[in-house]
Amino acid sequence: MIKAISLEFFKLRRKKIFLMITLFLGCEILWAFMSVSISLSRNPNSPVWESTLTTIASMNGLFLPIICAIVSSRICDMENKGNTWKLLISSNLNRKFIYAAKYICSGTLLLYGVVLQAFAITIFTITKSSTVIIPLSLIMRFIGSTMLASMVILALQQWITLAVKNQAFALCFGMIGGFLGIVSDFFPETVRRTVIWSYYTGLCPVKYYFTNGSLELIQQNLGLGMLTAVFLLIIIFYIAGSHHFSRQEI
Amino acid sequence: MNTIVSTYNLSKYFNGICRVNEVNLTVYEGDIYGFLGPNGAGKSTTLKMLLGLIKPTKGNMVIFSKNFNKNRQLILSQTGSLIESPSYYEHLTGLENMRILQRLRNVSNKKVQEALHIVRLEKQQNKLVKHYSLGMKQRLGIAMALINFPKLLILDEPTNGLDPNGIREIRELIKSLPQRYGITVLISTHLLSEIEQIATSVGIINDGNLLFQGSMEQLKAKNKAYISIKTQDNNLAKKILLTEGYKFKQNNDRLIFEDLTDSHIAYLNKLFIGQSIDVIRIEEHRKSLEDIFLELTGKERSL
Repeated sequence: MIKAISLEFFKLRRKKIFLMITLFLGCEILWAFMSVSISLSRNPNSPVWESTLTTIASMNGLFLPIICAIVSSRICDMENKGNTWKLLISSNLNRKFIYAAKYICSGTLLLYGVVLQAFAITIFTITKSSTVIIPLSLIMRFIGSTMLASMVILALQQWITLAVKNQAFALCFGMIGGFLGIVSDFFPETVRRTVIWSYYTGLCPVKYYFTNGSLELIQQNLGLGMLTAVFLLIIIFYIAGSHHFSRQEI
Repeated sequence: MNTIVSTYNLSKYFNGICRVNEVNLTVYEGDIYGFLGPNGAGKSTTLKMLLGLIKPTKGNMVIFSKNFNKNRQLILSQTGSLIESPSYYEHLTGLENMRILQRLRNVSNKKVQEALHIVRLEKQQNKLVKHYSLGMKQRLGIAMALINFPKLLILDEPTNGLDPNGIREIRELIKSLPQRYGITVLISTHLLSEIEQIATSVGIINDGNLLFQGSMEQLKAKNKAYISIKTQDNNLAKKILLTEGYKFKQNNDRLIFEDLTDSHIAYLNKLFIGQSIDVIRIEEHRKSLEDIFLELTGKERSL
């Protein structure tokens, strides 16, 4: 299994995938920080950490589904392009291992992006408010929740990427997901829970709360039920995708 | 002789359409087995089943005297293959592509270099594969198949896209493999001339049915000569032949004889001249392998 994972990273040479993630998320981070800076200049009493985290989480709903689609597509499509499925499978590599290795590799790349975000948030917030102590647990929860949401999307995205050879479909699917991710905050909570791309804000440790006609930022603890549901979704999408891939004829 | 590959009633249906029908393939150790058939005959489907890329609808496969389904890992670890077109990562160099196979197959650096040397790619090994010519990609595919010097090498149309010089090189390479490395080769192609020059055993498949299987000698034995004689008066010649007890067929203006010895030909010639029948032509005809192939697969089909 470790061999399969290390091979996935080896195959990413010259793909410039880290650069792509860095640039893509760099744009998002800059956009979010500009937005937070404007907001802070209008409301100097707003909590800096909380507002930065919620802004990034909200924008992740747009950006990360697209990144998930691109990462998944680039990792899986190189096998289609080079006709290498038959090479891997006839070289005694278990299909389930290949599927798992690709999923773990995509997840690791996403983790790099999310850690990059957390690092940027920390630096930005310190520059905005040097007296504030770094809330490490909040940042860790932000990383965890963003990764959880990403792993659900990646599991679904990888299944689609491998099921439909035309990558335009998988990428469009990712973009539609991104669109749903950004607009889902306007939906009622019950609807929002069925839209997996909305989980970036849904699972975020800080959320907006409407009270007396004004917006407040409050910290939320995720219930066991919600976490179980998310893990179940990951397992369902992953197993369905892996099973489908294992039965495909090459 | 040890059997390396045996299939028993191997069949494959796609959407209810039979692509491979109860094929019983037998490949012996040290053979270069030519798997011959027109395009769409079921060659690649059969080879893919042997590599576990597709599941047979029916039948069993025994490779290295082991059931494929129960010993898949062991069998595949001793099998190299190049199916249809070469597989490669075009954004990586030739050597990096070999490194991937090296990790998958757990082989030494020495073997990587040896495989690259065999296909004469050592000087191009650090070039990106996307800059390789089709022939170089094909050679890289063969190097990847050879990387662990397997017991069984399965090559599906390995000379596709190669120029005449490249075809000759690959042919010489394949011919040398059983003797130099003890590799049994199963090679499929639709080019009869290729098989004629390298194969020791042949299987001919058409529309999913294995029509012939045997040694090259057995196939060539079908290549019987026949004699055709053309005379000035074929009707009189026929009467004489019947009274003499000769068996023959008439084909247009020729009288066709099978199994006719030289002394019989000389005798017939004398006989006709003695009866004042002018003999215009006595010709020996031999069926080419292509004729035999077309006879087996149906003449209306193109290769």
